[in-house]
Amino acid sequence: MKKVLILVLIIFAVGCAKKYVKETGEPVRAKPEAAVEAPKEVKVEEKIIPREVAPTPVLQAQEPAFELKDALFDYDKYDIMPGARAALDSVAAWLNKNKNINVLIEGHCDERGTNEYNLALGEKRATAARDYLIARGVASTKIKTISYGEEKPICTEQNEACWQKNRRAHFVVTK
Amino acid sequence: MNYKHQSTDKNNLLSISYVLFSLVCVLCSVLFCLSSAHAKVYIDITSPALRKLPISISYTGPEGAKEIPEIIKNDLDFAGIFYLIDPDISGAEITAKISVETAEEIKADVTLFDLINNKEVFRKKYTASRNILRTLAHSISDDIFKEITGREGIFRTKIAYIVSSYGKNSLHMMDWDGYNQTRVISSGLTLSHIWSPDSQYLVYSSERNKMWEIYSLNLRNYREMTLFSSKGINLVGGISHNNQIAFSSSKDGSPEIYVMNLNGSGSKKLTKSLGIDVSPVFSPDGSQIAFVSDRGGTPQIYIMDSDGTRIRRLTFEGVYNTSPAWSPDGKWIAFVGRKDGNNQIFMIKSDSTDLRQLTENRNNENPTFSPDGMFIAFDSDRDGSKGIYLMSINGERQKRITPKDIKAMNPKWSPYIK
Repeated sequence: MKKVLILVLIIFAVGCAKKYVKETGEPVRAKPEAAVEAPKEVKVEEKIIPREVAPTPVLQAQEPAFELKDALFDYDKYDIMPGARAALDSVAAWLNKNKNINVLIEGHCDERGTNEYNLALGEKRATAARDYLIARGVASTKIKTISYGEEKPICTEQNEACWQKNRRAHFVVTK
Repeated sequence: MNYKHQSTDKNNLLSISYVLFSLVCVLCSVLFCLSSAHAKVYIDITSPALRKLPISISYTGPEGAKEIPEIIKNDLDFAGIFYLIDPDISGAEITAKISVETAEEIKADVTLFDLINNKEVFRKKYTASRNILRTLAHSISDDIFKEITGREGIFRTKIAYIVSSYGKNSLHMMDWDGYNQTRVISSGLTLSHIWSPDSQYLVYSSERNKMWEIYSLNLRNYREMTLFSSKGINLVGGISHNNQIAFSSSKDGSPEIYVMNLNGSGSKKLTKSLGIDVSPVFSPDGSQIAFVSDRGGTPQIYIMDSDGTRIRRLTFEGVYNTSPAWSPDGKWIAFVGRKDGNNQIFMIKSDSTDLRQLTENRNNENPTFSPDGMFIAFDSDRDGSKGIYLMSINGERQKRITPKDIKAMNPKWSPYIK
């Protein structure tokens, strides 16, 4: 690659009207790729990467499988809505019973917002869920939060039912 | 400071650094040219009564290099200030003669001839290796544009953007016209990113191992450095002409606006509110920061002085206004506003007057200005999957530049490549 970098620039002649530029470099076999070619290569590589959308909790073998239901949120909102309390209460009760288990709360959004704002909104949803659990007696040291904004939807159709599923705090058992 | 080599994309980066280095070489000739005064400006692009200049481009050379005049025509056509006229038909006021020889290298001889005053106004010889044919052609476009308007052309600039695939977001870059797409960073989930003012660094936020941290990548030696790491979400927003980075961090609980130096030192908190403060961007003179806050109940754009004082609200229409981008002349802020359930690109003057809607078809997000302030790149789902589009700042000439089979979003236009 060093060879490629050996470019020689010679400027001769004076004045703007007559300028001669010499640039040499290692000629490369083909003309530049067309726009459509690069992404193909990307796709092939990324197919082997496992999709991280579905919840994959690292459950300890001795723990009974327990479904931690998502806490859902209203459009553009990050306060806990009454309908989400049952899910959060059952998560809190389960965490209070299983003292050795920690949880990561992921905040998610539907696709209708803008990416950066949604990342902040998702974080607010995760921290709202965390604060609720703490108020229900869960030790704050057991909870971590993260946001994925709109980047990891569980549902990709464009309708309200789907968007509602994506506006969620999702619980992942970490220990 | 945490230095580490990016191994996965090293080859890509080598070619990027090579291309950037080549650009330096081509540019040297341009700069040399600038040192002499220009006799005449043929088009004043700031004039409200702009008249398009009729120009013809003739080509002599091998079939294999015919791409060169085609690229130049495409560049000049998109600039929107030329009428391209067939060289066999009269009516052109300026003619560009491009003669090309290809052997191991490409040699191009370009002359610009003023047909009204019957005189040669520009002549230059170019030699380049064959793998940078497009760069060579864009350099010729820049020289022609400069000769005719007296201003820098944008034809060698780049756009950095995100490709989303199977739940992964990787950082890519391409030429402004959509060619030479190259993956830059694929580790983690990358979201926001910015160019340093000298185009030498990309600064971006990635989620890796459940942490959103801010990184910088030196495009010359492909070294990545962690700039800011803390608990919570750390999202880069903008950078000033003197290399101050504005970002949001929730390290103390709620997302607030901070600034720090390009090497990650000297971070300073500027805002304090219970809600969301995010997406800070500097005004071109560095004196002000526009950002998004929901302190008034809905997400709106605010402006503050860059020391965090004098916060005032910029947007008042609608309930959702985000993603500000400051125009290079400092007069306008482009942003995303929600209207009738869809997101659209708007522009507003920094004193809250003269609101203009630039898009109307489906969702259009993440506006970014070209360095000359004449164009906006953005992403849109109007054709199904999200892709990158360009348009003039008056909303005209909207066109997609990324292929329809990839999800591409969040474009950031580079400064002039130096």
